[in-house]
Formats: sequence, structure tokens, C-alpha cells
Amino acid sequence: MSSRGSLMFLLHAHLPYVNHPRESSFLEENWFFEAVVETYVPLISALERLAAEGIRPGVSVSISPTLGAMLENEALEAKLQDYVESRLDLIGRELERAKDDPALLKSVLLYKKLYEEAAALLHKYSGDLITPLKALQHAGQIEIITTAATHAVLPLLARPEAVRAQLAVAAEDYLDRFNRKPAGFWLPECAYEPRLNSYIKLSGFNYTFTESHAVELAGSAAPNGVYSPYRTSNGLGLFARDAASSREVWSSRFGYPGDPAYREFYRDLGYDGDYEYVRPYLGEDGARRPLGLKYHRITGPHADLAAKQYYDPEAALARVDAHASDFLARRVKQTDDFYAARGVRPLIVSCYDAELFGHWWFEGPAFLEAVIRKIRAERLPLQFVTPTEYLNSCQEPQELSAGISSWGENGYFDPWVNETNDFIYPAVYAATDKMIATANRFRNQDLNSLNTRALNQAARETLLAQSSDWAFLLYIGSHAAYAKGRLEDHAANALKLLGEVIEKRVDEQALLALEQQNSLFPRLDFKVFSSVSKF
Amino acid sequence: MPELSRPLPAEDRLVLLPKNPGAFFVFWQFAGGRSDAFRAGAFAPEVELRLVYSEDRTQASSYRADWQAARAYVPVPAQGRVYEAALYAQRAGAWEKLLESNQAAAPSAAGAAEERAYASLEFHKRVSP
Repeated sequence: MSSRGSLMFLLHAHLPYVNHPRESSFLEENWFFEAVVETYVPLISALERLAAEGIRPGVSVSISPTLGAMLENEALEAKLQDYVESRLDLIGRELERAKDDPALLKSVLLYKKLYEEAAALLHKYSGDLITPLKALQHAGQIEIITTAATHAVLPLLARPEAVRAQLAVAAEDYLDRFNRKPAGFWLPECAYEPRLNSYIKLSGFNYTFTESHAVELAGSAAPNGVYSPYRTSNGLGLFARDAASSREVWSSRFGYPGDPAYREFYRDLGYDGDYEYVRPYLGEDGARRPLGLKYHRITGPHADLAAKQYYDPEAALARVDAHASDFLARRVKQTDDFYAARGVRPLIVSCYDAELFGHWWFEGPAFLEAVIRKIRAERLPLQFVTPTEYLNSCQEPQELSAGISSWGENGYFDPWVNETNDFIYPAVYAATDKMIATANRFRNQDLNSLNTRALNQAARETLLAQSSDWAFLLYIGSHAAYAKGRLEDHAANALKLLGEVIEKRVDEQALLALEQQNSLFPRLDFKVFSSVSKF
Repeated sequence: MPELSRPLPAEDRLVLLPKNPGAFFVFWQFAGGRSDAFRAGAFAPEVELRLVYSEDRTQASSYRADWQAARAYVPVPAQGRVYEAALYAQRAGAWEKLLESNQAAAPSAAGAAEERAYASLEFHKRVSP
């Protein structure tokens, strides 16, 4: 059946840069290990499976430079291997504990399969999960794009030099990692303002994404609403996120992830298990924390955690199938309704945090795979398309002046600017302003190797201070002390290094320690922060 | 209210950031000499933040605060326009401009925001033991 509309799936994969090589185990590094096992491996496996069967996924994946650096970090890869082995050891003990409890045993076996698949995929690619993603892109199965260097909310960077640095470093990082120039740019937090257009375009990107109201605010100037791409006055392609398809997947209250049959996220063996039994798998501090083995289902919208019932993997998979069918039926209706009203084949752009699939919504990767399979198997009048494919095949997009927006709570910048986190901005700006001033001062000078290294590391620290994650963690009150410490450390590191270069007294041992810990962007040149640039 | 644990260099800085269609966030810092002048009483303790439209430099609003407050949320006079801020203090009864900010654009409000599925909150809750 010919297509009556197109679907564009963009999965944005991002984690803040967390690397503590001098610590044998570090709590916040578990974010990365959990995301690898629960999200990245299942997604890569699903994409590889589909491709092997001749079913082209046609989805787009944004991989943040900080996540990319962690996926290629050998020290983290070694710790990840230890993490997986530790969980498999625990699962071995759980199999024994669950042998007389058939309902529990089903879930334990599911986790055994999950962790064994993770171990196998990591072994297959020598721990580097960029390799299969690169291969999938090379084979035309998916399109990979990037985002700002350290995921800064760009409308909150008042200095143009800082915006350009976030973009230029991201473009270079992508080129180094994927051996080609990036076509698309994911705006961190979908945070858009028109002044970014020229910076994004001049950094070599062809298109970006905005929240739906960025386009809806344009009113009659955007006659197709979110259902077609637009272009800015300088030729940057704009895709707008479709709110309906996002809500169905994002919302645990109104969307699929809240189904009673799905796995409950907040109930975990780390809290439920006998303390002495789980103690070897907790951190060095011995505090109870999630271990990733969650044996219960959501059960009901208001069910108390203690009243949750055992998870049934088969029942959950049945709901996955039903939800995939429902999702596609809604998209077919959406496209039919739009075509009937306007005589134009619509494009539905669905953007999600990748970590939703698997980590938060355990059944998410299976849902995504089912959606892709059903389009083919049921000959639905829809097709998956990547942004570059769409722009290459559609008519010249209409010019549009889109509005300021984000996909954060309330649609603007409240999550990153409020009474819980606004105190960080003086530190961010102190580092940024001094980085720019020092880059300008030294950009045309012959510097010795030590001073150049110090300036380059100061640039890394400045970029890390600008990350959106610290403000967000402070806002939600999660790992707030860590977020505050990281923000202050990076700003202080940048200011200290810049001061040392100016005063000609760089502490080489301290610099080396920072280079080892915050080792991303190996080709970073501090001049990227200077006011005079190729732009 | 949380604060930084470590002191920052004493520098002049006024930064205006968009928060939402109704509010800007603004913060200011002073170089050592200016802070000393406030402490010595050379400037009156109340500062005035003036928002101007960037396109024609006409004043849009003003807001007063103690100089040591160092940050404030100020109402957006009109959505969808670009602003700059300036910070004034009184010396001997006359207003004196001390700091100027960057330009910042105020968003326009979109309808039915509460019905949207905003992505950054719901699935970032952490486990409560």
C-alpha cells in the first residue's frame, strides 16, 4: 500500500559526562551502566535484528558528545564489564532463590537474558557500542545526529562565543566519531530561539528540531502546523515535534508506559532484598540503592509500592503488541484526517529521550521494534523516514520564523532557571567570560605545550560547567549535591587553569589529573572560544 | 535558598536570561571597588534594574532591589520582544548606570501548555527508597 504519511522517530540519547577513573566504583557512574544494559544494548539489538531481516528501521538517533565519549572510554568499559558480571552473579543467586516461586522465576530469567545479551553485545564489539551504531548508519539503516558539546541549554548562553563553541566542538566530535560531517543537530532540551539559526547553520548543520509550539506560535504562517518541515531565513531545516504521538509514549499517566502490566520502576531488589544478601552488590557506602532487578508490575495507577504484584513478562509483551497497534492506528487516523483536510501527506515527528526506552519504560525497546515490524507486516500506509531523506525528497520547505520554546515543563526554560538552581549561573558565566577573554588574549600567541594543554583543559571544564544536567538535577532534587559539586568543580577548574596560564605557573601534575578525569574532546582547541572565528 | 560554596572572582557582570513568557531571571555581580563603594555608603543600598527594548532603547520597566540581593526575577513587560537590562545606583541623589546586560528575547506564550507532554520531567524522577 502506498504511504499516506511519514513517521520520523528521533531518539535522543544523552547522559552527563560522569567519569571518575581514580574511584573503583562511583555511584553516579551507574547511570551509564544502567542505560547501557537497559536501553542502548536492547535498542542496538533491535535495530540489528530488524536490519538483518531486511526491515529497514529508518529511525534517527541523536548521540550526545558526552555520551559518545563515555561509550568510547576504556576505563568505563572495564567498569561496565564488572557491573554486568556482578549483576549476572547476583542473578545466579536469584535463580536459586526463585526456583520454587514460578512467578518470580519468570522475571529472574528475563533479567538473565537481558544481562547475558548485554555481555554478548559488549564482547562482540569489544565494549565499544559506537561501532554497531556507526555500522548501522553506514548501511543506511539509521541516521545519527549530534547535539551541543555538553548539552548546554543554548538560549541560556548569552555569549555568542559560548554558543559557537558548543556547536563547533559538537560538529568536530561527531566527525571524529562517525567519520562524516553531521547533517542534523538536536537542540538540548529542544530549547530553541531564533538567534540560534545562524550559529547552527554556520556550524555545518542542515536541520534541527523544535517543540511543537515553536511552530504553532507562527499561526497562519505555518499552515501545515507541525506536519511539515520548515526552513529558517538562512536555510536551516526545522522539524517540529508532534505533541500527540509524544504524549502517548511519554506520559506514564496518560500514555502506554503506565499500563498496569508493565514493569514497575520504583520497586527494586536493592530496597526489597535482605540487606546482608544484597550488600555485596551495593556501593562501598553500603547504602541501599537500585540494583536493576525489579520484579513487580505497575499493577494500578494508585497502587502502593508494597501492594505491587509480580511482573509477568508474557502479559507485558501482549500489552506491547496492543500498544504498538494502537499507536499505529492513531497515526494512520492522524495522517488520514490531515490528508482529508489539506490534501497534503503529513509528516509526524516523534522525539523521545532514548533512555525512556528500556531504562524507564522497560518494554520500550520491544514497543519500538513492534511498531517498525507492524508497518511492514500489516502493510500500513505509513513509512519511517529520516530527516535527511525527507528533506531530500520533499518540496522546498516554507520559510518560517519559529518561536522560543523548549520541551521542558511548561514549554520554556523554567526547569533550568528557578529558585532551586539559579545560583549556579554566576559560576557558569564567570568561567565562560574568563575563558572567552583568555582565548582572545592568547589566540595569536605562540604558547608552549604546557600552557596550550592548560588552556585546552580550561575549555573542557568551561564546556562541562555549561551542561544542562546540573541545573536539572538540582531542580528535581536528585543527586543535587553531586550536581552542585560538579558545577562548582568545573567552573573552579577553568578559572584556576586560566589564572595559572596568565600568571605563567601551570601546575602540571594537577593539569594531568584533570586531563585524565575530564578527558573528552581530545582535539579541543581553546581558540574555539575566541571572539573572532570563521563565522 | 541554595548558594555556591566557593567565592567567585569579584567582577562586574549583569546577565539577563529568559525564564518563560512572564519572567526574566537577572543576576549581577560587582568588582571589588564597586562593592566597597556600596559598603562605604557611597551608593545608596537600593539598586534599580531598568529593562529597555533593544530595538529602540526605550525603557520598558524598572525594578528595585537591595544591591546585595544579586539576583531577581522580573516581569516581562511585553512578550515576544527583545530586551536589555541596565543596573543603576544612586550616588549623591543622582542615578548612575553601573552595569549593562546582554540582549535577551522574551518568549511568546503558547496556548494549552498544560495539555502537552513535556519530556524533561516525568521520567527523570529518581527512586525514593
